[in-house]
Amino acid sequence: MIINFIVNEKKYSLDADPSKRLLDVLREDLGLTGTKEGCGVGECGACTVIMDGEAVHSCLVMAGQLEGRKIETVENLEQNTTLSKLQESFLKHGAVQCGFCTPGMLMSAKALLDKVPSPSLAQIEEALEGNACRCTGYKPIVEAIQNVDKV
Amino acid sequence: MNIVGKKVVRLDGYEKVTGKAIYGDDIQLKDMLYMAQKYTDTPCGKIKSIDTSKAEKLDGVIRIALHKDVIGKDQIGPIRQDQYVICKDRVYYSGDVVAIVSAISKKIANLAADLIDVEYEVEQGVYDITESVKDEKLVRPEYKTNVLVHYPLRKGDIQKGFAASNQVIEREYKTGFHEHGYIETESLVAVPDPTCKGVKVYGSIQNPHTTRREVAKFLGLGLNQVDIRCSNLGGSFGGKDDTVNSVACRVALLAVLTGKPHKISLSREESMKESYKRHPYNMKYKVGFNDDGKINSMEVDILADSGAYSAQSFFVTWRSVVQATGPYEIDNVSTDIRAVYTNNTYTAAYRGFGSPQVIFAQESLMDEIGQLCGLSPLEIRAKNGYKQGSITASGQILEKHIVSLEEVITKATEDMQYSKKVKEYQDFNKSSQRYKKGVGLACSFRGCALGAEGTDATSAIVSVQQDGTGYVSTGLNENGQGLRTTFVQVAAESLGVNYESMHFLEPSTAAINDGGPTVASRGTIMGGNAVLNATAQIKERIFEANKEDLGVDCIKETTWGNGFICGKNKVKFADACTKAYFAGYNLSAYGWYKAPEVSWDEETGQGNAYFTYVYGCQVADLTVDTHTGKIVVNKISAAHDVGKAINRLGLEGQIYGGVTQGMGYGVLEHYNIQNGVVKSKNLDEYIIPTIKDIKEISPIIVENPDAVGPYGAKGIGEPALEIGAACIANAFCNATGKRSYEIPLTLEKVFLDKQLVKPERASEAHKSNKDVKDIISKVNMFNPKNIQEASKMLLEKDNAVLIAGGTDVVIELRGKQTPTTLINIDQLPELKGVAEKNGEIIIGANQKINEIKENPLVQKHFPALVEAISTIGAKQTRVRGSIAGNIANASPSADSLPPLVAYGAKVLLFGNGKERELTLDEFITGGYKTQIAKGELIKSVILPIPSKNYEYSYFQLGRRGAVNISRLSLLTMCAKNSDGSIEDIIISCGALFVKSCRLTEVEKILQGKKLDKELIAKAEDCLEKLIEKQIGGRWSSEYKKPVFINLFKDSLEKFI
Repeated sequence: MIINFIVNEKKYSLDADPSKRLLDVLREDLGLTGTKEGCGVGECGACTVIMDGEAVHSCLVMAGQLEGRKIETVENLEQNTTLSKLQESFLKHGAVQCGFCTPGMLMSAKALLDKVPSPSLAQIEEALEGNACRCTGYKPIVEAIQNVDKV
Repeated sequence: MNIVGKKVVRLDGYEKVTGKAIYGDDIQLKDMLYMAQKYTDTPCGKIKSIDTSKAEKLDGVIRIALHKDVIGKDQIGPIRQDQYVICKDRVYYSGDVVAIVSAISKKIANLAADLIDVEYEVEQGVYDITESVKDEKLVRPEYKTNVLVHYPLRKGDIQKGFAASNQVIEREYKTGFHEHGYIETESLVAVPDPTCKGVKVYGSIQNPHTTRREVAKFLGLGLNQVDIRCSNLGGSFGGKDDTVNSVACRVALLAVLTGKPHKISLSREESMKESYKRHPYNMKYKVGFNDDGKINSMEVDILADSGAYSAQSFFVTWRSVVQATGPYEIDNVSTDIRAVYTNNTYTAAYRGFGSPQVIFAQESLMDEIGQLCGLSPLEIRAKNGYKQGSITASGQILEKHIVSLEEVITKATEDMQYSKKVKEYQDFNKSSQRYKKGVGLACSFRGCALGAEGTDATSAIVSVQQDGTGYVSTGLNENGQGLRTTFVQVAAESLGVNYESMHFLEPSTAAINDGGPTVASRGTIMGGNAVLNATAQIKERIFEANKEDLGVDCIKETTWGNGFICGKNKVKFADACTKAYFAGYNLSAYGWYKAPEVSWDEETGQGNAYFTYVYGCQVADLTVDTHTGKIVVNKISAAHDVGKAINRLGLEGQIYGGVTQGMGYGVLEHYNIQNGVVKSKNLDEYIIPTIKDIKEISPIIVENPDAVGPYGAKGIGEPALEIGAACIANAFCNATGKRSYEIPLTLEKVFLDKQLVKPERASEAHKSNKDVKDIISKVNMFNPKNIQEASKMLLEKDNAVLIAGGTDVVIELRGKQTPTTLINIDQLPELKGVAEKNGEIIIGANQKINEIKENPLVQKHFPALVEAISTIGAKQTRVRGSIAGNIANASPSADSLPPLVAYGAKVLLFGNGKERELTLDEFITGGYKTQIAKGELIKSVILPIPSKNYEYSYFQLGRRGAVNISRLSLLTMCAKNSDGSIEDIIISCGALFVKSCRLTEVEKILQGKKLDKELIAKAEDCLEKLIEKQIGGRWSSEYKKPVFINLFKDSLEKFI
């Protein structure tokens, strides 16, 4: 089925297999492999992307639901070879170890920061509660988000 | 030092924050085919026949391979080759693979695997280690006994020691399986390599040289015909070794058989089932001590579950035998550890490697000994703990490194304000009935690197270029822990150049010699020394070429730093390199480091087990909800002697992560396997800590430089994890006065003192081992323009299902074989909105949970609904999930239902051209069952604005801090008359019965009356009978009944 949607500010008109999920469309059809799959059931958050301003599990959105949607993935955070403050802050605070959860973490964090530029700890925890990280114990990630302005 | 010891941004950070880092599943090659694995349908039995005919007929299937197609050795394993990569004539555990399929797509490969019919002679397996050790039924008859390894350790004379003791106690401890929980599942790509008639393998590989060895043997190739290149690893923690090796063998076989590249990425369910875990241990400790706390004698007997294969059991259990008596000097010790085969998931390396189990037992025991002697946990440890020159259980004198046990204990307990909190919490607990607070500590000593378990040497290549920049490569592998960064720091520090001028080059196995596995926290200490060995050689050569300019005769007279070499004169490092290069010097060097000598006597368990040790102490502060069994970890202080910090940022990260995994091990992570069938299928059933599970972690870095380590550094990876569960168990005892001899401390373990899982009959095992594939087989999608069209489509299309947010529907589609037609109503405007009309609030069916939560009308009139739906899934779930979806799914634990039921919500159904309104009680008929008719959909949810001024109390019980499937929930809404009597009370429950409902019989008792203890007791009595009647016979009622009654009483007491 043909779907018209926007990914990272670019318009696409794609003949997508309706059995694909947004995650598959991104990774397989558009070659945007920054978005990861960890569980396929919305439990780990590795596949998180921003859809119309909200962080969503791309493993739970079907391709046929994408008409007119605006998607943003981790590949859009670096602009003109400059990292975003959020990315810089993740690096500075050691919020990245194996890096597999990082794209999803960044997108959940960005969705929050786009709405709430200086979030409270509770708001950060709520925004990231669906993003599992097995390496960092989360503390450096929280610090990175809290200090994003100080980069 | 300029670079070592600083906070350094990790070298591979840029690629990882931009999504450019390549992991196994990101590899895409031209003409690549896909592999799927046909898993056994039963954990134990003989294979009678395998019929692949249906699978072969499937369009797009290229090849199916069975055991008979194996080219080389058919079994693999690090010591004992006992695992058939593709099963021969028997299956031994749920994760066994009986056939592999090559196809043009992942989907076809998986569908074909499902079409392979295997006939078994199903057998009753051995699932209990205490049964296995009796050898009544042999899991592997060819080895004559189920015991695959036995290590004894004997020091002194334990009988004498017991005889000389005032007190002798015996305790038994138990730990369960523990899953690594790396977020990336196993993913591998194999490519035929015509240049050497061999194969290249890429992917999520922890130990590339081990993988190469296994693949080469399995394919009958020389080591130089197999080349392994690791992708970025999405977490490993010891977990991407043996399982990855078997998957690599299979995918390489298909590449060789077909001449085409192949890829496989396991689904989470496949990974949970196939991959090895941490060993469950049963541990018996007998200890004799004096009244003053001095331990004289200790006897330890440990039984470890190796599962179906021996894998790393030989090594894992050896570390346990060295460390089983903890960092305590005891004159008389007798330890025996045995690992036995069972038909459970096999077990092997997991961060800690045989230590977290014994630390849990040993440190629990220390607290208890202290208690019996009237000594505090600090005093008992001070009395017996290792000091400089102490002699270990294996007879090793601790003299070649700083023994810093006391220091780490002091630093961790001071950070926690341990002694102050002990007193504070004693007072708190006296006055608090429900919540109890506690602090507890645990400590460890740990041998660095492999020790006497095997040859310990490793490799590095440093290559300096003519412009002074350079590369570092090592035989050890980046697992995500930050090894690349550490090695580059070490090289840069040594050469006196800045960090940015060195680059880590990930070598393939063809490019560097086998440096042993990246395990045993040996990366920094071993690899760092190999790097230093290489840089020392290069420095000599650079010096030789530049000594005249430097004006000195000997390299010892130079210093190297900030990009300069300083002798009498100063020479820029880059210029010195240029000069050396053009003078014909080789600026590349191969570094090699062999660990200092260690020794071990297999008969007596005596010897110098490791060349150096690290010491750590962690202290936990937690709160126990005694009414539910829930533990909340408030803080963990973790002090670790690392020798010398190389990268502080990475080091702290290791501590944060290790502590959090330790918390999961101690509290949350219960791998449910019954009769060999894995019940913890995905991350909803095997729960790991979320961001909300530990409030505070305080890493304390202690530095006592080691004589051997590079710049004095030792290791941190495993020490950070191994202590957490033990200190939590001690804090739990401090809080409640109850000691748990088993972890994890799940809700049920805390509340009932036993793990409670849904029982399954052995006869059902065969049916329930079905795979969940990570594919959606056949979907048609329709986007109706309005609800009339949606209703029509529902009537007319086969297997039509509505989809809005998809948070339940898409999960249901996974692995489903039959085609589904999805009717997408996600963007229909008529299902959106919240409006007030005639004293009712009407919520559009597709109003998202998050939108409802943030809606002012809802917030004003239905605060309990707002609170309850705030805990549905994760934020991502609430953003997509709709209110109607949560209702229509009709899960007994749906979080919107208790408040909706309490507020008297109705659903407006539309279908077949008409509308009808039903109360929720009418609409939901049972667990996952509703009255919805074919062609119908929920149009809106109607909530009457409460006419009374209710106050409410809501409680949701989940296993962890967030993203829970509710174990129980309870909503009480109460309006009072001016005299304080109850005007109206509404009580609704969730996850208790098959559906959420009001407890009307209980409400009746309370209506109109004044709440007091007596009335509550009367209501409680009624509630108890009601629960007994409805779910009394169910497996879960043993926990749910008393806990719900607790919650009920607590909730009513708030209204007194």
